This record gives sequence, structure tokens and C-alpha cells, in this order.
Amino acid sequence: MLHIGNEYLPLCSGQTRRSFLQVGAAAMAGLSLPNWLNLQAMGAVDEKKAKIRNCITIFLVGSPGHLDTWDMKPDAPENIRGKFKPISTSVPGVQICEHFPRMAKIMDRVALIRSLHYNSGSSHENGQRWMMTGHDFDAANKQPHMGSVISKMYGSNGDLPASIVLPTGIGNTGTTTPHGQESAYLGSAHQPFILGSDPARSDFKVADLEAPAGQSELRIEARRKLLHELDDVQRRVETSSTLERDTAYARAFNLLTSPTTKKAFDLNEESPKLRDRYGRNTFGQSCLMARRLIERGTRFVTVNQFDTVFGISCWDMHADGSSLNNTYADYEHVLCPQFDLAFTALLEDLQQRGMLEETVIAVISEFGRTPTINPKGGRDHYPSAFTNFMAGGPIRGGRVIGSTDKIGAMPHDRPVDPPQVIASIYQAMGIDLETTMLPGPGNRPIRLIDAEPIRELFA
Amino acid sequence: MDQKLEGTPKATLQLDGHTVTRSDVSNDWGTRLQWKISRDGKEVATVAAGIVPTFEHADTAPGKYEVVLQQFQYVSYLKDKDGKFTQSKYIDISAPVSYTI
Repeated sequence: MLHIGNEYLPLCSGQTRRSFLQVGAAAMAGLSLPNWLNLQAMGAVDEKKAKIRNCITIFLVGSPGHLDTWDMKPDAPENIRGKFKPISTSVPGVQICEHFPRMAKIMDRVALIRSLHYNSGSSHENGQRWMMTGHDFDAANKQPHMGSVISKMYGSNGDLPASIVLPTGIGNTGTTTPHGQESAYLGSAHQPFILGSDPARSDFKVADLEAPAGQSELRIEARRKLLHELDDVQRRVETSSTLERDTAYARAFNLLTSPTTKKAFDLNEESPKLRDRYGRNTFGQSCLMARRLIERGTRFVTVNQFDTVFGISCWDMHADGSSLNNTYADYEHVLCPQFDLAFTALLEDLQQRGMLEETVIAVISEFGRTPTINPKGGRDHYPSAFTNFMAGGPIRGGRVIGSTDKIGAMPHDRPVDPPQVIASIYQAMGIDLETTMLPGPGNRPIRLIDAEPIRELFA
Repeated sequence: MDQKLEGTPKATLQLDGHTVTRSDVSNDWGTRLQWKISRDGKEVATVAAGIVPTFEHADTAPGKYEVVLQQFQYVSYLKDKDGKFTQSKYIDISAPVSYTI
């Protein structure tokens, strides 16, 4: 078998001379772009450039404790209410953690969903799949990421991929099951493009957009011409299905050589002051890059705040004294301040550029954390109640959807489950869930998500 | 990928009476900012700097006061058995200003 990105081309049987030529020509060009590029043309990408809103999803890998952030219970016993204090916000009666002072000032633009819950296991991966696909895990029937659904249904809107994951995909969070950021049955053509690099670093480069060592753009252009000539010969004798692949290679060359595309990833084009406003850290600069990508045609950007929960400062505050030794100290000194800065910068930046009405922002996590503080001073995984939130597009800010009981143990009213959040994201993007069907497994038309949107987000 | 904070944050302070006003932070790491207050060379308080750029320390005990802006420099999540960061710490990001009561 030959291998291009994640696509395997059969050689032993079913090999065509054309596929061999393509692989050879691509190798000559030094291409090693991810599979979405190689296969985009094969996946029945709809290039109708439909008018929908864009979406930036911020995924809080590790998952903040809801009682320590956006659903505080100051009247609960000490071993439940935690260490932090609530502060008032721009919305009367709505309080959030004292370590989100900037967010408190713009709560009128944010809709909190405080009654999220599910009951099917509390692994990180389970939560990731719920919140990014809207489905529980089924090994025999893996479900696509929201960005892949958007890619499939609406295609790309220019040279950039329709769905991009920043700064990198989710790696080890405990088990080896999928993270819900894959295209599943939609095929490799709709895999998100994963940046795979830290945009906050001074030596930041998008590896896949760099010409291979020793290959100037002139040489790449010469090889494009050679590939084109080979294609001309083959085009006369082969079928339309093989021609679809040509587009992938054309896109690969375009992405590799297009100044516009490269500029989309160049944060040095932003003012130092704005870069500071987002925070000079991996998450902050990823949020800034998300805005740049949306501005330039990407429809769906996922920002993973972390790619693991082990051996780093992240939301997964077990306080276990080992590789999961995140505590209140991490929340206070690193996590809350960095989130507060970047999230509010993103909202304000989008608004100042007139982009907020056309961009939906969803801040989601795997689950909440246990109401009772554990013996080591941390909190553990808790999917029975948690808070996520949305803003932008048609989302009505200043709202609190649902509530939890006195100790944040379970929804008290208006329980919401993950598929409803996904449905709300799609609806906020302008997708009519009643009439828009996804070609599911076996091309059977299915709803994008089998749930109703949370109507209070829009009313 | 664990974040590697690069560069050095900087801010300038202005003193008006006992009130300190800070500039925006350049190369802002986004981590927590705090005021460190010393009296006669000994640290007496640290206070979250928050989003309000001005600060006035409430203590009126006689002495020479020095105020400096600090930011948390994240290096790693590692902590000692008491839960204190072992590599990450607060660093000064401004020149100090001082006044006497």
C-alpha cells in the first residue's frame, strides 16, 4: 500500500497507473499535507459556499469545576463551596468566580447553561465525544465531529480548510478511545486540519505549509506544471472519479504556495497590543488565530485549551500529588486569568470587527467536577451537572439556562443534555435542523443531531 | 504541549500620593497579576492587581513603602507536598515605586 497522509492507496490489487503517477508526482513535489487536502475532492465536498454563520468552539480540556467557576454555591458547606468567592457581573443576579473579572463585565453577551448533564461514564474521552459529536460512544458506529459535519455539508469557503483544530489535537487524556474530533464515517476528506504547533512560540511555523527543505517555490511551481501535463494525458483515458483527486493536489499546491493562506496563520500581522490583549500564551494566541482563520474563510475552528491532562497545569484538578496534581493554585494563578483574558479578548475583538453577529462561540467541557472536595483538596470528574456557555451569532446574552441544586450535584430545573448543545450550535450557525440532512452511514439521510436546540438561547 | 511562556512582561508604574497606577502589560503572559507591597524592606502584603489599573495600599503604619507589579511565571505544574509551586513563581514586571508614611 502507498500512503498519502492517512489515505491508503491499494497497489497490490486495483492499482491504477494514474494513482501511481499521482503519488509519484506528489512525492516529487515534496507534499506531505494532511489527508483532508489529498482527499477533499473525493469526499463529495459541497462547494456551494452556503451562507451560514461560523463557529469557534473553545474546548476546556480537563474540565473546570462548575462550583469553582460559573455555578458557585457560596452558601454551601465549606467542603462543597470551595475556596473562591463569587463576584457580581453586568447581569443583575448573576455571579461568577472572582477570578473572571473581565468576563463578569461582559456577561450580558454570554448565555450560561448551568444544567448540563449526562449519565454514561465520566472518562475525559466520553465527555469529549458527547460534547463534540453529541453522541455516546459506540465503537461500531463512530460519530463525526461538528467541524467535520460542517465540512461535509458546506465545504470550504476559500483556500483554507472548512474545519481547523488549534493548536493541536487532543492526545492522551486517559484512555485510548476516540476524542470526538474525527470525521468518522464522513471520511478522511472531512478530517479537521490540525495545526500541530504552538502559535505563541517565537519559532512558530505551520509545518505543513512550509516547503520541504531544499525546495523553492519555483521548483514546486515547476513540479505543479509537470503534474498538470501528466494529468492532461491521463484525463483523456480515465473516469471522472479519478479526476476528483486532481482538485486535492491543486489545493495542496495552492495551500503550499498561496501567500494569502500563509498570512492567515501569521500572528505577526497583528499588533503587539492586540496579541498582549489575548495573552502571550498558547491558549490566548490560539484564540487570536481562530479569529484570523474565521475572518479568512474557515467555517469551524476548535481551540483545544490543552492536548492532555497529564503533567501540565490544566483544569483537571484532582490534586493527586502526582501527574494530575492540579489544584486551586493552578486555577488562581494560571488557568482562570488566562481564560478570562483570552475569552473576553476574542468576544471584544470579534465585536469591534463586526464579526460577532456572524460568529458563534461555544465554550464547552467534558463534564463538571465533584461537588464535595476530595481528601487531597481537589475535585474529581462529575458529568451529572456542569456549566458550559455560548455567545455570538443570534445567542441572547445575559441569560442563565437551567440551574443546579443547592450543592451543584444535579440539575434543579431545565436539565440540558449534550446533544441539545450541539443542536443549539448548529441552529445558531443558521442551519435549519428540520430540513438539513446529513448523508449518514450508507448515505442514508439523517438529521445532523437528534435533539432540539435550547430555545431559551434564542428567545 | 505544555505552554512555554516567552519574553518578559513589562509595565510602568506612576505614583500619585499613595496611589499607584500601572500601564498595560506588554508581552502579557495572561497569568495572574499582583501588587507586592513591602515596608522598610520587608514584604507585608500581596494583592491581586485585577483589572483596575490603580491601587492604594490600606496600611498606614509608619515606614517606607515600596510597591511593585508582579506576574506569575508559569514554568511547570510541579508543586511540593504543601501544594506550593516549585518552579513557577511571581516575578517583578515593573520598577518599584516608593513613598513614606
